[in-house]
Amino acid sequence: MAFVHGKNTYISLNAVDLSAFTNTSEFERGADSHDVTTYGKNDHVFSGGLGNNRATMGGVYDNGAAGPRDTIEPLVGTVVTLVRRPEGTGSGLPQDSVSVLVEKYVESSPVADMVTWSCEMQCSDAVTSTNQ
Amino acid sequence: MNLAAVMDAVSTRLDTIANLRCFAYPPAKLTPPAAVVSYPETYTFDETYGRGSDRMTLPIVLVVGRVSDRSARDELGAYCNGTGARSVKAVLQSGTYTAFDSLRVVSIDFDVVSIAGVDYLAALFDLDIFGPGS
Repeated sequence: MAFVHGKNTYISLNAVDLSAFTNTSEFERGADSHDVTTYGKNDHVFSGGLGNNRATMGGVYDNGAAGPRDTIEPLVGTVVTLVRRPEGTGSGLPQDSVSVLVEKYVESSPVADMVTWSCEMQCSDAVTSTNQ
Repeated sequence: MNLAAVMDAVSTRLDTIANLRCFAYPPAKLTPPAAVVSYPETYTFDETYGRGSDRMTLPIVLVVGRVSDRSARDELGAYCNGTGARSVKAVLQSGTYTAFDSLRVVSIDFDVVSIAGVDYLAALFDLDIFGPGS
């Protein structure tokens, strides 16, 4: 076992590799919780519900045809495939693949720095976690 | 980015300023007015995933006349102005480059540098350069 650096992380949306424009990404696995507390209990009791997963990514804007703007902006409101490889591409390394609803694409223009972008996605249906 | 190519590109663009001697690396000796593209203060790898992009802060040292000359102040001012034919910021930021994606002249510090025993007025420009990692 070893700590893993984030610099090799791979991420693609709708089969377009966005890694070269990305410097942050998160994949959040969660589940609904249901309160099933009954009379006589002194503490809440919960039961697990449906999975509810989200993903975000962001980075440095690029004006190329395969850059974040041209790739992501047309996908807002649609469901496409997100692939994320937290340790990078390589045999045996983990990969998460899931359909996502592209909810938001944001561009930011600080006066004294590069234009940046970010994207928020709601996962739709099950996540397929495999080794490459 | 290729460091030598970046320094060459910046020097070549600076050389379009009339009557300014430009060097793509620190020379053994120079005669003012002259601009020297020096080595990066910082060179940051992995600005994005998968060697997508790197970033560097590249200094330029611009030397004019003797520090005690009023004409030196006026001449340095022309290079330090935000606009004009001799404006380092305007000239560099209006260039087209293939060695990197983006260049911005961020700031200027002023100093006195000694060359062959003579104190010269100098402006130290800091350039923020962003480009491909591989």
